[in-house]
Amino acid sequence: MSLLSICQWLQNTDWATAIRQSSYVYPVILASHLTGIALFGGLLLVSDLRLLGFALTKIPISEVTGRLRPWKRVGLIWMIIFGFLLFSAKAAGYYINPYFDTKVILLLLAGVHALVFRRSVYNRTAELDEMAELPNQARVAAWISLALWLTIIVMGRMIGYYELPNEP
Amino acid sequence: MMILAANPLEDVDWLFPLMECLHIAGFALSIGTIAVVDFCVLGAGPRRQYAAQISRSLGPWTLVGLVDMLFTGPLLYLGNGGAVQYNRNPGFQFKMLCLVLAIIYHYTLHNRLIRSEGAVDGSAVAPRIAASVSLMLWCCVVFGGLFIAFTEA
Repeated sequence: MSLLSICQWLQNTDWATAIRQSSYVYPVILASHLTGIALFGGLLLVSDLRLLGFALTKIPISEVTGRLRPWKRVGLIWMIIFGFLLFSAKAAGYYINPYFDTKVILLLLAGVHALVFRRSVYNRTAELDEMAELPNQARVAAWISLALWLTIIVMGRMIGYYELPNEP
Repeated sequence: MMILAANPLEDVDWLFPLMECLHIAGFALSIGTIAVVDFCVLGAGPRRQYAAQISRSLGPWTLVGLVDMLFTGPLLYLGNGGAVQYNRNPGFQFKMLCLVLAIIYHYTLHNRLIRSEGAVDGSAVAPRIAASVSLMLWCCVVFGGLFIAFTEA
């Protein structure tokens, strides 16, 4: 069973077909995905800007980056749920869309980033507050996170610009 | 009509999508920074005692995001047919109404209540209502914007 056939099966399920053929359910899902971007993206920006020392420097890292973490997770799950619904409605088309491939790879890299810097940065925000100078790891983590997620937003938008070769 | 013929948004393929990406990044920044403060007042994220301070320090970042949106937004409007395409589109009308309300509200009532003393200790209800209204208004702006593509004049 190939990936493409899984995508075709997915897009032919009753609910995916219903989303695709609806006039308003699809845009509501899309708008929810976008609202998730505003929330998750905003929390991510604030967390990273605090780590880099560009914003909220008088408020402890543990208060900002630390305490926003669970809410970033909520935003992430929100985006993934609505993103998956969007994908399933047109799965086979996305399968051959190069921007979609790139976005998925970058999302996986974002997952790797979170795992790599989990122990050294994100799990020890209280310790970071006590250090006289922020370790380079924290700064590197924030820059990579900003770069990854900005590119993911761009790739997400570009998905809609790819024209399927078979379409008239 | 020389000016229209030379509209770079129509001539350069990648310029319109670039403006869209900047528009999305702009609202992630502005709405995100507003949402952080609202969440804080509602008891999520940083502790309430930091609400006023966070609101003040994030103010410039919110403004950067807003300026970005108010710059790329009109360019998208002009680059995609302008008044003929947009003015009678219900999604667009709804968005503009919510946007004007949201901006005025943010810089008047909202900021004042969020930075009030009642917001800091969590004793007053008004700041919490103000935060909820703010979150709802901005979500409406995003929804309206997306629906422009799905509603017709």
